[in-house]
Parts: sequence; structure tokens; C-alpha cells
Amino acid sequence: MSTATTEIQLTRKDFVSDQTVRWCPGCGDYAILAQMQKVMPELGIPKEKIVFVSGIGCSSRFPYYMDTYGVHSIHGRAPTLATGLAVSNPELCIWVITGDGDGLSIGGNHLIHAIRRNVNLNIILFNNRIYGLTKGQYSPTSRQGKVTKSSPMGSIEQPLNPIALALAAEATFVARSIDAHTQHLEETLRRAAEHPGTSFVEIYQNCVIFNPNEWDGLSDRSVRDDNILYLEHGMPMVFGKDRNKGIRLNGFTPEVVELGNGIEEGDLLIHDATSTQLAFILSSMEYPQFPAPMGVIRDVRKPDYVSQLMGQVQTAQAQRGVGDLNKLYRAADLWTVNEREDVAAKVAGELSLDMDEEYVDNLDKADMDATTQVQDQLIESSIADLNPHVPITIDVQSSLERATRQLNLHNIGCLLVTDARDQLVGIFTERDVLMKVAGLVDDLSDAKVADYMTPSPVTIKPDQPIAQALHLMSVHGFRHLPLVDEQGHPTGIISSRDVVAYLNQAVN
Amino acid sequence: MTETITKEQPVIEELESVAIRFAGDSGDGMQLTGTQFTNTSAVLGNDISTMPDFPAEIRAPAGTLAGVSGFQVHFSSQDILTPGDAPQVLIAMNPAALKASLPELEKGGIIVVNTDAFTKQNLAKAGYKANPLEDNSLQGYQVMEVAMTTLNRNALDEFTDLSNREKDRSQNFFALGLVFWMFDRSMETTKDWLYAKFAKRPEIAAANFKAMQTGYFYGETTETFQRRYMVRPASLPAGTYRKVTGNEALAMGLVTAAQKMGKPLFYGTYPITPASDILHALAPLRNFDVRTFQAEDEIAAMGSVVGAAFGGALAVTGTSGPGVALKSEAIGLGVMLELPMIIVNVQRGGPSTGLPTKTEQSDLLQAMYGRNGESPVIIVAPASPADCFDIAIEAARLAVRAMCPAFILSEGFLANSAEPWRIPNAEDIPTIEVTHPGPMHNGDGPFLPYLRNEETLARPWAIPGTPGLEHRVGGLSKAPNTGNVSYDPAHNEQMNRERAEKVARLANAIPEQDVFGPKRGDLLVVSWGGPYGVVRSAVQRAQREGKSVAHAQLRYINPLPRNFKELLGRYKHVLVPEMNNGQLAMLLRGKLDVNVISYTNMTARPMKIANVKAKIDEILG
Ligand code: SF4
Repeated sequence: MSTATTEIQLTRKDFVSDQTVRWCPGCGDYAILAQMQKVMPELGIPKEKIVFVSGIGCSSRFPYYMDTYGVHSIHGRAPTLATGLAVSNPELCIWVITGDGDGLSIGGNHLIHAIRRNVNLNIILFNNRIYGLTKGQYSPTSRQGKVTKSSPMGSIEQPLNPIALALAAEATFVARSIDAHTQHLEETLRRAAEHPGTSFVEIYQNCVIFNPNEWDGLSDRSVRDDNILYLEHGMPMVFGKDRNKGIRLNGFTPEVVELGNGIEEGDLLIHDATSTQLAFILSSMEYPQFPAPMGVIRDVRKPDYVSQLMGQVQTAQAQRGVGDLNKLYRAADLWTVNEREDVAAKVAGELSLDMDEEYVDNLDKADMDATTQVQDQLIESSIADLNPHVPITIDVQSSLERATRQLNLHNIGCLLVTDARDQLVGIFTERDVLMKVAGLVDDLSDAKVADYMTPSPVTIKPDQPIAQALHLMSVHGFRHLPLVDEQGHPTGIISSRDVVAYLNQAVN
Repeated sequence: MTETITKEQPVIEELESVAIRFAGDSGDGMQLTGTQFTNTSAVLGNDISTMPDFPAEIRAPAGTLAGVSGFQVHFSSQDILTPGDAPQVLIAMNPAALKASLPELEKGGIIVVNTDAFTKQNLAKAGYKANPLEDNSLQGYQVMEVAMTTLNRNALDEFTDLSNREKDRSQNFFALGLVFWMFDRSMETTKDWLYAKFAKRPEIAAANFKAMQTGYFYGETTETFQRRYMVRPASLPAGTYRKVTGNEALAMGLVTAAQKMGKPLFYGTYPITPASDILHALAPLRNFDVRTFQAEDEIAAMGSVVGAAFGGALAVTGTSGPGVALKSEAIGLGVMLELPMIIVNVQRGGPSTGLPTKTEQSDLLQAMYGRNGESPVIIVAPASPADCFDIAIEAARLAVRAMCPAFILSEGFLANSAEPWRIPNAEDIPTIEVTHPGPMHNGDGPFLPYLRNEETLARPWAIPGTPGLEHRVGGLSKAPNTGNVSYDPAHNEQMNRERAEKVARLANAIPEQDVFGPKRGDLLVVSWGGPYGVVRSAVQRAQREGKSVAHAQLRYINPLPRNFKELLGRYKHVLVPEMNNGQLAMLLRGKLDVNVISYTNMTARPMKIANVKAKIDEILG
């Protein structure tokens, strides 16, 4: 996060509170506190604008030792307090101090939501892979197999990867450092402070009492440079005391390579703090299989939560004017009651209605009561979706003989009867043949289809819903529905069979 | 009573008050119909009280009992206090609506049914074996059978673009028109609303208006209806009025309180029925510098409120009982940090998820004691929907004065019910005095964040950003004055006492309890929250019978008004009716060592005037 800076002369001492520090001797927290107190005056932020917020745990005592504003809150909830504080007071430079238990176990939900909102906070997570304050139970970052008081046969839980978690929450700034490497730590804290929006920093922190050897390979000066990959934006990923090793990508997988023997710096990955993909690759590189990546893993800019919220306040005030309570009270139907007079009913102001909005919104929509997916589909799909057949038409003057022949010829159930202007005047179906013709009419060639057809049949338009066709068929018992255009010319025909086929498809 | 005007006209009977219940499927637009009728009655100057009754499931199957949506409106020429015990008129759009509402209807009441909806299928869905319109089971009621669907469809013939289904959708306006006619109301307000609402689709407005007119004329021309009713305007105090629900009033009260403090309003919350409407009302008010924050969960909402209070805003959260359960740890932190904040609990039926859309008062002891440790908070409770406005301002004032979290115990019933609200003039509302310590410089001595004000025992509200006041607060036990972490037993004792005492001292800053009725006598009925109207009406009835009964409505529960114990002592009996298993009664017995009679209701539906009255009669013999 970053906050406007001013010219101010402060020293490390200005940030040391009068409280006695109560961590165990040798605890990594001391180093982190010292670096924080060192970085603070260099930020150029007046100390009254700085607030430290913490939860519960060894690390969460941190605010008591900083002579700034501070809140030592409740377990896991520091990001929520910090968010409310940032929203109520956008000027502040807010630091959240948390640990692997506080931030990833009980407070995991708040951590990811503060990060995804990009609230202007610096979230510093002290990762010692153990519960310290409660005296040595395994934590969500403890390695599998870790023997602790609560896991005497070894932890069977898959540990959480804090960096990957922050990246998954779309963190705009993600970095890692370690308590023992004070210079690196100082620089990392400074970078976090400079970043606007949420800065997430994981610090490998040594709990001398309950998990003393966790970071040995990374903190011991004699070996650490062989085990840490110091990240610098735009630079190749070289590491090792002799800077003779590097990280190369093999397909999607990073691998450690020795420089020389044909492998040059140019073959190595170049760190790019704006690359999401690279950030995830780095997050997957766990020590000791890989050197532990340290430094700024990701650094991108996105609008922060509070600036956007305050932007809305300003926009609303510019558009609607600064809120006027009297107007607010009167934004409804009003009526006036006069002193000792009969009521003069009066309607003023905007008419508004707040109840039943859904009902109102649906008044001008089709078929709001549809509940099942199939029903929805029937309502939303139109007749055109049934791919109506090209109709077979017959002139109204034709004989019955011709009509029945046509039915047979085309192997269809229904003919559309048209007049001289090619407009639909009737429908003649198999059933008409069965019910009105077969056995009743002797001479088919003498009879006119006009006398046996159903005149002025119910029609349907291609853009009407299939549900409409289904309704007509079920209510009136139609097996066929002709389609006509604006001029009344038949353009197609659908049968109950088409609808059944469609339904069958829809149901499956 | 007025008399018959001409032979052709039905009798117009004048009534003091009427309660109508509109009931139909949730898709039938009953809330809309009820609201429109309410608006018209309000504009006519009736006093009104409403109670919407939504189905619990958002989309229960059409035609079933679970899907019945009701809206009850009580309107009167008198000052009214409740949505009415039993409605006298029921508009039932289908068999399920009839079945669900009939038990509530006054004996001899009027039932208007849509006979078209009484199909075999609908009867079966409602669980009727026989058609109640045919089997004499409605004997004793005045049943008006109207083929609404058919009449409405025919009337809308001219709207050829509308399918029958679309036409049917306006049949609630047919019903509304009919009821407008029955109660001698003009269709103008609703007509204006329709044309404003559907400005872009005038044909929809026209169709609905036509439906309404048809219903109105149907009443006028058919002989089914032999009577019309008239309810005169109420004589409310002079002023400009609007209709307001409890949640609307609460939202406006919170904004007002923030403005009167000269502070931004921070509203951190997580959606929950029936409190979400407060968020919906506040979210659009960015131009009032309202900063709403929809948190990831209830706990985060409360945490954000504590943070915002530390930051110097008027910090408020809104929730319901299950949400308070999750928030309790952070509320405890608010008590320990001694910061002002407001927790609105719109109570619903419990325990657990309970009855989200129904009403109860069962979170009083949760507010009072539902945290670890000794954790005193301020508790106030609104008496009516409009009172939610005043109570919000009052909660802010007390929270700031004592530097302590304040609970507002609203209820689902108050939140969704509406009543007329005499609109105040914003300038006439007193400012809420807030003081923050100013900057300190080297040599001014150390800043003492827990140095208490001698009168109120409140600690200073020092805002981050003030030079020289840098200080740390936290949830650990602390020393007086410095607030530094302290495990000293004497410190813990002292700080616990002081936190309790500063809340108790607010009794000096709140009004004495007043009573309605005799200042001493046989019985005092004490209520709090939503039952106000029911209890007041019951007491009035008893008083009219010459009984020595008074009513006290508690708006301040912690602390209690300073004269409260003495007041209770002036009556032979004290009755406490409430919508829980006797929580206030228990509190009064425990805190004041008084003997009270508890009357409880756990139906999650508002109490009945008649039942409270019967209890009064029972006590007074
Ligand atoms: S228990 Fe571990 S983490 Fe906690 S203070 Fe001691 S050394 Fe540090």
C-alpha cells in the first residue's frame, strides 16, 4: 500500500513504544519488529497516520510495540477491522500483522476477501509453521508428517501454500522474505509499503521454542545463498553463492540447472513481476526441492477498494448534490393533515413502490410463472426452432380425389388449402378423410376439397413460442398448425410429432 | 351510519376501521395490490397499518398453501396501532389463498373469491376434498363469487396483442378495482402509478387500468354487492405525512444520526432476512457519504464495524439473530475497546435458522448477555415502524455518549409493516454532540486513552490521524487510564465495574418511563417492541370497561428508565406480554426483584388484541 508522503524527520526511536517486548528470547519476531521500526521513518508518513492491526497469536502482539495507532483485535479478524478502518478513514497507512494460524486457519476467509477487494493494506504474515501462543500444535502450513503435541504420529494434513493462496485471490502485490535476512526483509517491507492496494508479504519466521529448525537452510548465512532465489524484476533467475545456478523452464515445469556446459543465462527464466503465470510457477517452487523464491513475486496495479468507494461518493454528490435529509424524507407519496380541518388529500413527489418489484418487473415479460427448465425452454424457443416443414398446398377449387392423392403422394397428414391469391383458407387432414370422406363420399372426383376442409384454421407465426403451439394443440386437439406470413401466405407447417420430438430432446 | 341514498344504490355503511386481507399466489401480485390500496387509503387520510406475509419459499409451487402470499391492510378513521387482529374482508384469488387465510377471518366477514380459480386441480393442490364454495362450509360468511378470470379476459378483448396468460396477470387489478369500489376509493393514485411505472409500455398500463376499471364497474353494476363501506379520514396531528416501513425508517434514522454527528455513515453488513432491506435503502445514498460495505460474512461485517468505529465513523451493522450469534465475539471486542457502534437486530423466528420471514422478540437475552465475560451493552427497541427513525438517532446518541456498542432490537414485523409517518423537519432534529481529543505535542504529558469522563465514565474517542495521540487498544484486560495490557486482578475488577456503570449512568440521559392510563392502580401492562399496538389497544378496551389498567411501552431496556422500578411498585399486578418465552419478564424479575406475570406468544405471528385483553381480564378477575 502507499499513502501520500510528507517531509518529516522521524527516527527509528519514534516508533518504539514504552511497552516491554515479551516474545521468547531468540524469536524471529524481534528481527521483524526491528526492521519495521527501521523502515517506518524512511516512508515519510507522519506516524499519526500509521495504524497496526493484528489478530491473536505471538505475532499479533506486534502493535503493542509500535508507537503508532494500533489495535490488537480478535483471532483471525484483523483484515476485517483493517477494512472497516480503511473505509472510514482513507488517509491512513494500515498494516495487518498476522500469522499462519491467525491468517490462514481461523481467519482464512477474511484474508482472501481483503486481498481480492484490493483494500489499501499491507498484510504481513509471519509464517513459522506452528502454533506458538498455544504452545506447539501443528498449523495449516506445517509440513505433512510434522510431529507436534497435537500430531504425535505426524501431521496427516496437506499444508497450505500462502503465496499460491494470495495469487488465487488475485493479489496485486505478493512477496516473500525471511526474518534472518534483515536487509532483504527491510527492502521487501519498503516495497510493500510503496504498493497501492493490498500488499501481501509472507515472512519465514523462526519459532525458536516450538519449531526451531524449520528454516535452517534458509537462514544460515553459510548456506542460504545456495538455497534462496532472490527475485528481481527483469533479471534472469540466477542463484547460488557463486551465482552458478539458475532456473530454466522445461515445458511447464521449472528446473534447476548449472550454468556452463552450454547453458547460459540467456536460457534461464527472466523474472517478470507482472506475469500471473510466472507468479504461480514461483509459488509452486518449494524449498528444499527448489531454492526458495524471495522478493517481490508479483506487483501489478489495479484500483483499490477504498478509492473506488470514495469515487462513488464523489460521483453521487456531483450528480445528485450533497445529500439533503429533507429531500430524502419526502421521496414518497405525501399527504398533508391540516389543523382542525378536513383532510386535503394531495399527492406530491415521485410515485414509488418498493414491494413486489419482481412481480412488477415481470408484468411486461412473457410467462413469469414458468418454473422448470423445460418450461423455460418452451417459452424461450420459437416455432422457427422446430424447423417447420415446407407446406404442401392445394388450390381450394381442387377435387377431393386430388387432395387424397396428394396426401398419399407426399406421405403427409395434412394439406394447406389456398385461394387464387395463394392465401391460406383452410386445412385438410388425414382425419378429415377418415371422418368426413371415407365411406361417405362416393365420387371423390366430383367433390370439392373446399366442402370438406376445416376453413380459417388457427395459425401460428414463426416467432411465437413453442409453448403457444403446445397450448393450442392440447386445448383444441390440433395435430397440425400452419404458419403464415404477414400477407396470410402459408410458409410452413408444424405437426404434433415435431413438438414431441423437440420435447424429447429438451427433456434429455 | 348513513342511510340508503337511492333504491338503485347499495347501502353505504360507515365504519370506523376495516382490515382487508389480499391473498393469492406469490405470482398473483398480492403485495402490489395491497400496497396500492394502502397508498390510496393513506393519501385519503386514513390512518393505516399493514402487514405483508410472504411465503417462506421464494418460488413455492403455484396454487399450493406454501405459495400463498398475503397482504393485510388496516385502515381507520381513528388512530390505529396494529394491522388488525382478524380481517373483516378477505380477497382470495384461489382455493389455497382461501384455505390459508380463512382461519384468520372474522366470523361473518366478507369473502370475495375468484371462482375461475376453483378448478378441480387447484382445489386438490390446496388440499380441499370438496369445493368449499359448494359444500356449505363457508356458511356464516358473506361470500361473493366473482368469475374474475373470465370477466377480466373479456374486458381485455380489445388488447389483441396480449395472450390470455398476459391478460390474467392483470386480474389482481380487477380485484383491486372491485375493492376500491367497495370501500369508496378513487382509482386515481393507482392509475397515476401505473402510467408512471409503465411509461415505456403504455399498453400494459392501459390493460391494467382497464382491468381495474372493470372490477370497479363490476361492483357498481352487479347486484352481488349489496353494501359499500366508507371509512373517514383519521384525525392525525397536523403535518406532512408519508407511509414508512420500519426498515425504511431505520435507514433514514441512521443517515440522519450520521449527519447530525457530522460523520460518514459506515454500514458493514452481510445479507440476511429480514434486515437486508436496510442495506438496500442505504446503498443508493452515497451522496450522503454513506459507505456501505457488504462483507464476506457476519463476522467480517462486525469486525469492519469495530474498525470503522476506531476510525471515527458512525459505524453500524444490521443483521438478524443468527447473524448476531456470529458477531458476538467482535461485539465483545467493541465493548472492550469502548467504541461507539450500533448493532441492528431485526429479530425473526428462532432458534437456529427458525422462521426467517416471520416475527419474534426472542433475541433480547442474546443482546443482553450473549457474549463471553461481563459485556454490558446499550439496548433500545422501537415501538412501531415510524419509531424506528427516532430509535436509530437515539441509539447513536447513547452509543457516543457512553462510548459503548448499542443494540437496536427491531423485529420482522416492524421492519416490513408500514404506517403513516409525520415527516420531521431535518433542521429541528438536535445535533448529536461528538468530541474528539485534539492533537498533543511533546511535553503535554502522555495521552491516556482510558481516562474516563467523570460524569459519563466514557473514555476519549481519539481518532487515528490525530498527532500525538498514538495509542494501542486491544481485547486483553487492561489497566485504568493507560489502557495498557494488565493482568492485575484489581484492574480487571475496576474496569468491569466501570464498563457496567457507564451504561447504567445513561439512565440519567434518557427520559423517565411514562404510562398510558392511571398513574397507579390494579394492573400495569409492560410491553416492548412490536406488540406496542396490540397491547395499547387491549389496554384501551379494558379502560373503556372501567378497569384500572395502564400501559408502559419500554423503549429503553438497558439501561431501564431510572423511575422504572418505582413505577412498577405502584400497581398491584404487572403483566409482561412478549413474543418469546418470557425474556423481558425474566430480566425484570432478575434486575429489579419484582414479581411480574408473563404472557408469551411463540407463534411467530403478531399477538391478538383479544388474547391480551383476555389475559388482562383474567388477572383482574
Ligand atoms: S512461541 Fe515461538 S513464535 Fe511465539 S514468541 Fe516464542 S519463539 Fe516466538
